[in-house]
Amino acid sequence: MSKPLLQRNSLFLLTWLPVVLLVCLFAFYVLLRLQGDHMQEEQLLLKQRNVLTTFINKSGNMERHIEGEYSIDEMKDSHFAVSHQSRDTAVYYDDQKKSVPFQILSRAYTVNNRNYLVTTYVSSTEIAHLIIKVFIAQFLILILLMMAIVFLNRKSAVFLWQPFFSAIKKLKEYDIKTNQLVELPDETGTTEFDQLNKTAAGLISNSNTAYHQQKQFVENASHEIQTPLAIIRSKLELLINQPNLTEKQASLLGDITEANERLSLMNRTLLLLAKIENNHFPETEAVHVSPIVEQMIATFQNHYDDFPELDMDLQPNVVLTANRSLIEILLSNLITNAIVHNVPGGKIIINLSLSGFLIENTGPPLDIEPEELFGRFKKGSHTTKTTGLGLAIVRQVCNLYHYPVSYQSSNGWHRITVSFA
Amino acid sequence: MKLLVIEDETSLLKSIIEYFTQEDFLCETAGTFKEGIEKAEDFQYDCIILDINLPGGSGLKILEYLRQHKKSDGVIIISARDSLDDKIAGLDLGADDYVTKPFHLSELNARVKALIRRKYAQGTSALEMGTLHVNLLSRTVTCNNQHILLTRNEYDLLVFLLNNKERVVGKQAIAEHIYGDQADNMPSFDFVYSQIKNLKKKLKDKGCEDIIQTVYGLGYKLSL
Repeated sequence: MSKPLLQRNSLFLLTWLPVVLLVCLFAFYVLLRLQGDHMQEEQLLLKQRNVLTTFINKSGNMERHIEGEYSIDEMKDSHFAVSHQSRDTAVYYDDQKKSVPFQILSRAYTVNNRNYLVTTYVSSTEIAHLIIKVFIAQFLILILLMMAIVFLNRKSAVFLWQPFFSAIKKLKEYDIKTNQLVELPDETGTTEFDQLNKTAAGLISNSNTAYHQQKQFVENASHEIQTPLAIIRSKLELLINQPNLTEKQASLLGDITEANERLSLMNRTLLLLAKIENNHFPETEAVHVSPIVEQMIATFQNHYDDFPELDMDLQPNVVLTANRSLIEILLSNLITNAIVHNVPGGKIIINLSLSGFLIENTGPPLDIEPEELFGRFKKGSHTTKTTGLGLAIVRQVCNLYHYPVSYQSSNGWHRITVSFA
Repeated sequence: MKLLVIEDETSLLKSIIEYFTQEDFLCETAGTFKEGIEKAEDFQYDCIILDINLPGGSGLKILEYLRQHKKSDGVIIISARDSLDDKIAGLDLGADDYVTKPFHLSELNARVKALIRRKYAQGTSALEMGTLHVNLLSRTVTCNNQHILLTRNEYDLLVFLLNNKERVVGKQAIAEHIYGDQADNMPSFDFVYSQIKNLKKKLKDKGCEDIIQTVYGLGYKLSL
């Protein structure tokens, strides 16, 4: 599961910062403890010196025991073992009715040939309290610090990653067909993002060039093919006018002519497809659809002796803002399609309304997948003089003007709907 | 009749010349812009067939030059189909007609003849063949002085054949002449056959028998 970068970063910090902080706290505690012990040791030693000095100066005329401060004990034996380390002990206070922890240090001294054991006391409570208070303060500071780190990190990330998110947004809007222009700034203030933008811009420009070249290629190729086709056509015309043409030769010429005409038609259609794709029809006007359909139907009925039975319902006042030629090509291709792929004694239903153009015809079942129907060179039935490009053009025009186009088939009927949405 | 063909595609140029020479035109050729403008400058032609894309410059410039110098040669522009801009520019500059490539020679021939008739032979706008007579102004057809009523398509077809008489005219050429770009959408040329059949029958009814011959399924030929 992928999570947003910010969230991952915060999670990472929140996982590892407490660990680091706990280790720091522990180290701090140990250091503080050591320092505290050292300080108590120093205090004990200082007291020892003070007590001893006073004792010598006053020639022993001083209080020998002050609870919690010091005690001076005269020893019989000069060879008794004394720890040079300080020790923990507790002194019971009657008035407070509790024992208080103390740190004590005992040292043996010889004053005027008499042995004394001087023990000094330092209360452990204060230092323990101090350590606890410092420790708590430290803990609070570290918690605050952690929150500040996470917070600042989030804030700075939003700020620092801004060029990245803006680049992502722009790249999302990029579409090789409709929106080829992506402006990514060269200078974002961050080297990595500069590199990212430069790389993305390079990739985009390469794809655009390749796409453009590929589109141009079809157009240029079709354009170049036109001339040889025109030459062949003219030579064939001269050839069929040669005297003493035999029937065999004429039949061969007829076949060549037919193939050449098919090739020309295919080439013209490909050129048209390329031109629609390359936006060579930018002019638009208000196009009234119903008169165009009526006129086309009249022409087609005139052409075809076996024009299928027609059921036509045209709503007047259907006006499209589009290129007139393209709309004519669109309608003519749809109607021709319905005539050519019909069955003898078949029927055509045409319905034009503000919502769209619907054309339905009887016909043999498709022998290709319905979704392939609008592809190039996809022919349901192999009629000789069709190019297999008619519906590809329909789709291309519909794509250009964002008219959704769909195909349905049921019970020997084929229906194509173009929505003027 | 003098004809100048300015076209850079040698092969196509040769075809045009051959076709028009057979039609008894006196043909001159030019393959480049320079050559074209020199010939157009020095001589007077009845018709100039002018390609737009020429090495050395646009054919439209030659047309512009001609019209600026008050030369009234008939000009038919030939250029790639669907260059609508060229078509508009050409007609604006004073071209008499416009044919898109690839064209049928029979179509070009019909256009040239129509142009020459319009330009130089007003009053005698009639086509004749044997007892068949077509008045192009009133668009009436008579055979043996008997009026024949033709549909628009049949009339166009007959005039097209008359302009290309004694020649085999292909089915495709006829289809494109009558229906223009619409012919592209037709899955067969059967309708040409039925138009010819109707025309033949109407001509036969008035005594113009067998002037339209079918040439091995290639096309049709009008001859006596």
